[in-house]
Amino acid sequence: MSQVITAPVAAASRRKFNFSAFEYFVLTLVVLLLAIAIFGPLFAPASVFKSDIGNSLMPPNAANWLGTDDQGRDVFWRLIVGARTTLLSSFLVVTLYSLIGVALATIAAAGPRWLDEALMRLTDIGLALPGMIVALGFAAAMGPSLQSAIIAMAITGWPITARLLRGIMRQTIELPFVAGAQVLGVSKWRLMTKHILPNSLDVLVVKWAGDIGTTVLVLASLSFIGVGAQPPSAEWGATIASARGYVSSAWWTVVAPGAAVAITSIAFGLLGDMIQIRRNPSLREN
Amino acid sequence: MAAVQREERNMPETAPMKTLVSVEKLRVEMPLGAKGAGVPIVDGIDFSIGVGERVALVGESGSGKSVTARALMRLDRYARVSGRIDFNGTDLVKLSEREISRYRGNEIAMVFQDPMSYLDPLMTIGDQVAETLRIRGVGKAEARKRALSVLDELGVDKAAERLNSHPHEFSGGMRQRVVLAMALIGEPRLLIADEPTTALDVRIQDQVLDLLDDVSARRGLAVLFITHDLGVVAGFAERVMVMYSGRLAEDGEVENVFARPLHPYTQGLIKAVPRIDQDLDKLYAIPGAPPAPIARPGGCAFHPRCSQSFARCSAELPRLLTVGQGARVACHLHDRPANDRPVNDRKEG
Repeated sequence: MSQVITAPVAAASRRKFNFSAFEYFVLTLVVLLLAIAIFGPLFAPASVFKSDIGNSLMPPNAANWLGTDDQGRDVFWRLIVGARTTLLSSFLVVTLYSLIGVALATIAAAGPRWLDEALMRLTDIGLALPGMIVALGFAAAMGPSLQSAIIAMAITGWPITARLLRGIMRQTIELPFVAGAQVLGVSKWRLMTKHILPNSLDVLVVKWAGDIGTTVLVLASLSFIGVGAQPPSAEWGATIASARGYVSSAWWTVVAPGAAVAITSIAFGLLGDMIQIRRNPSLREN
Repeated sequence: MAAVQREERNMPETAPMKTLVSVEKLRVEMPLGAKGAGVPIVDGIDFSIGVGERVALVGESGSGKSVTARALMRLDRYARVSGRIDFNGTDLVKLSEREISRYRGNEIAMVFQDPMSYLDPLMTIGDQVAETLRIRGVGKAEARKRALSVLDELGVDKAAERLNSHPHEFSGGMRQRVVLAMALIGEPRLLIADEPTTALDVRIQDQVLDLLDDVSARRGLAVLFITHDLGVVAGFAERVMVMYSGRLAEDGEVENVFARPLHPYTQGLIKAVPRIDQDLDKLYAIPGAPPAPIARPGGCAFHPRCSQSFARCSAELPRLLTVGQGARVACHLHDRPANDRPVNDRKEG
């Protein structure tokens, strides 16, 4: 009954979102970041990767808006080029570990009790270990590179997704329409993939946006420590790492990529909160 | 009164009926905990349903009527089902999960109480109705065509346009039709209806009953109708089985049972139906409450609530006696020597 009543309301809100000023700000920021990551590098001058020692450590000026680094490369354009690496890698990481999480959650929710127990204890272990330290170990073992960092984060990032989704799928299994499909002879596998999973996934949409923000930060950290993207790369963490010796003499070389990491991470985090609040009207007042 | 008209319109002639399902000594135990002892929710019942026959299964909440129905399709994963469920020559109790799923939807289908929640909110109506066929290898176009014709048959307006709608775009009555279409598209021979009208308002209730009535008459579909609404029973079913605490108390043709109930429990149930020509403060209720399956009293489970009980009732479990044509009752009152029958027995009434 409640669905019948709320349906027109939902349809109306689909036509008109009624964003607040703050929500517009967050959305603009996210769209801008994505646009920069996708199209920005197309406009970058060829000199982004070329060193020009005579022009090194220049403070911000008309030619180099954010100054130059120790190699004389333009900091602004390196940020733009690095945005693509950083965001693309983060999307990849979140997608990969979400897939692992969805697969494990489905198996746990559908499988026999012992398998569910085994997978959930494995998840407990995954949750207990600090993700970044484990990722650090994996990436170091595979040899420091961007790919290693991405793989390491993908195989350490899934536990929360798996735990969350498995719980929701267990709830969805109890919904009447699942029994309704079961009495028609729908097989268990089809029940899981066609009915239960689609009806459980919406929570991941919320989680996804927030996860991008966290992943940007962790990826930059791994690169900063030296197990992720390696120096010639414009990846933000690697940029900070190579510039950190000049923080006292040329602050812009460190502050610019640091601010980029912070802004991106916060923007996606806020996007996640925003979607969550819109999904759950009871949170809206705050 | 619409119910009575319906009865006259579609009642088939009483002819010897071919048996479709025959249940013998069906016992369903629910385990307490993972390895706990089983609690017998259904405690050894026998009945049969003929081809195209409409049988009502009535009883209070907790009497085991839904568990019985679910056992016919082996729906409860943890239930221990024993006895025999002969469906057209196959013992359903012995089938594996894989084999039984071929019977679901194809031979036996089920509709439930609340049509609102028995549809997948994210799937279109067309896909949902067609699913029973799709999982059995029918092509997409063909399945859709047949979904459309079933929806048409069940009176869903503009079915062709609405195949791509989602459940929330349908009203309660329409959703129950969609649920029925899902159950009927596989052309089952037995439809189990577990209180399909309880959640609907009275007008829609009547529409759905009419629809079920039409469809079962047209398709020769046997219906096992689970309800606690005796008015619905009177209008729809040919035969009524009364369950009490996991056992059958009485089984007989609807007219006979309503006119001359044999079991004191059935008498109480019929007496408890509110009547429009009686004062509300005179509403009758059977004293006491049904026993929990773990603490079923010895002898006849009904004896502590029964006004006509005597010594034998607490000592000995009454057998289900055949009394007259197709009528059975489990009560010691009817298990006396021929010259000592109680006054309310059918032969004297």
